[in-house]
Amino acid sequence: MNLETVELTKSFGGVTAVDHATVRFVDGKVNGLIGPNGSGKTTFFNCVTGMIKPDSGSVAYRGKDITKHASDRVARAGIGRSFQLCRVFPRMTVMENLLVAVRHPSVRTLLRSADDEHERERARHWLRRVGIDHLEHAEARNLSYGQQKLLELAGVLMGDPDTIMLDEPAGGVNPALIGRIATLVRELNEEGKTFIIVEHNMEMVMSLCDHVVVFDRGRPIAEGEPSMIQQDPRVLEAYLGV
Amino acid sequence: MRNDSERTASAGRTASADLGPALTETVVVAPDAPRRRRRWSRAVSLALLVVGAALVLSFPFIAPNPYILSAGVVILNYAVLSTGWNFMGGFTGYISLGHAAYFGLGAYGTGLIVKYLELPGFVAWVLAALVVVAISVPVGIAALRVRGASFVIVSIAFVLILLLVFQSWREFTGGSEGLIVPRPFPDLLRPEHHRAFFYLFAGLLAAALVAWWVIDRSKFGTALKSIREDEDKARSLGVPTTRYKLIAYVLSALVTGLGGGLYALWFGDLDPIFQFSILIGSYMVLMALLGGVRHLFGPLLGALIVGIALEYFKLEFGDTQFHLVAAGLLLGVVVLFMPDGVIPAVGQLIDRFRPQQTSIRDVSAAELLEQNRRSDASATGAADAREASGEASTRDASDVSDASDPKEVTR
Repeated sequence: MNLETVELTKSFGGVTAVDHATVRFVDGKVNGLIGPNGSGKTTFFNCVTGMIKPDSGSVAYRGKDITKHASDRVARAGIGRSFQLCRVFPRMTVMENLLVAVRHPSVRTLLRSADDEHERERARHWLRRVGIDHLEHAEARNLSYGQQKLLELAGVLMGDPDTIMLDEPAGGVNPALIGRIATLVRELNEEGKTFIIVEHNMEMVMSLCDHVVVFDRGRPIAEGEPSMIQQDPRVLEAYLGV
Repeated sequence: MRNDSERTASAGRTASADLGPALTETVVVAPDAPRRRRRWSRAVSLALLVVGAALVLSFPFIAPNPYILSAGVVILNYAVLSTGWNFMGGFTGYISLGHAAYFGLGAYGTGLIVKYLELPGFVAWVLAALVVVAISVPVGIAALRVRGASFVIVSIAFVLILLLVFQSWREFTGGSEGLIVPRPFPDLLRPEHHRAFFYLFAGLLAAALVAWWVIDRSKFGTALKSIREDEDKARSLGVPTTRYKLIAYVLSALVTGLGGGLYALWFGDLDPIFQFSILIGSYMVLMALLGGVRHLFGPLLGALIVGIALEYFKLEFGDTQFHLVAAGLLLGVVVLFMPDGVIPAVGQLIDRFRPQQTSIRDVSAAELLEQNRRSDASATGAADAREASGEASTRDASDVSDASDPKEVTR
């Protein structure tokens, strides 16, 4: 099991965003997390990655409890994530954006020159993979939204995560770019990375994911292969209100 | 992973079918120009550095009278404090308005150690710096729990608390009467004393600048800057922000404290209202902002400008408070017209007179096709090559409208 939550709960005032959610994601697969707006997907993401503290319940990653870990520790445990509204470091160059990621901090890495050629070469590799290597010296704020999205993904990959959580990778990008991101996810998955993807674009989820979890009102209502999920009456009800 | 590539490709197909192939698109490219330009600017900076260092070193001999020389010491002291502040403010973006706390602690620490332990001045100076570090760690841990405006308030609260303590603890600190610190070089005449301390401050400033430069170029520096840009995002990339911020804070306190200690040995008379004033802390911020917090020499340049201006206003308007009004106006002008400071503003001005850089240019459809063909060739081959190329040629169609750089050149 890759990531597992037990009875995870988070309320904001009177609103229970995540409600006793017990969810499992499969190692080595592309996992999808779908659900109507406001069903608690992003809050769930944030609880798992330590961005916000859950009220109760637990999170385990590959058998280790990470419930109380701050987000930087979660990242160093091997979980990289992107944000729903893509976040990059606007006033740093594309290259600098990639050099931020830290997987194994030590005094040596602390003092190591940011100009380290090995790191730069690694960064260029990921920039080539996402297709923005020609932008290496550009400031991130001068990139288009689509390019920033690719930059964010490259930045996450620089941290060498085993598991990558993407919050709406297709949100706000043009259809052509969606195809590109999908291809990349598939390739990386074949190279051994596990994915957990929150997405509204059903076409993408259905074509890309091996395992889908459906959220409604802060808890999972169904899970399984995409084709099964599509026919599940509970899912249809949650989405369409049928 | 079996037929998944097929699925992916089909997602790509439907996607690209919606858009016709884009004919031209604007793409930011980085030609060789930046590299050449960087080499140039490196040569220019090196020349400026040599000239600047020569000017500083020869200043005590150029200075027409001891007053001007002592003004030079004051300005170097401000430069040390402001550069010290910039270890925190510049890298992480945490604005401390109460950094005078460490200036005061360094100064009083040195004075009190000399007075009570009867140690030589410079030994006391080093010990006081260690005391400053020891105090800044717990204070940093507490203060760095909050961000933004709350951090500013906490930093001000800290300096005000210290002011009260040092004012009221009369038996120990001398209270408002002040504290006399014996001179470390009793045999020197006044001008020679100024000259010696001018070089001591210059040495301290050089050490601080080198340290800042090293961090600026390190992976640690990149991490600190990412905290300034977006702290939560930096954390999500594994940066141990709490630890890194604390290291920057303690370094910042150390440099500021060393500046304060040297001030105590130079000036020889400490007064809590001056040592722990918000005004001194504000000057550090003003100078750094004025020069440019993202630049190594920003605080130094700011100290030069503000320091000279303050001395001038004090001479011109005597004991009035006008120099404060002037400093306030200066801060207002900086924030309104040069939010990034003088150095970037001048840089932009110079850029305007350069030949236009085509840092962003159009890529023709033919070039794009060639690019795609190359990227396809290097792709894993899993995806249908033709599909992928159709996909890639439209990938940045949305970027045409988004390229917002003013230097954009469209054909």
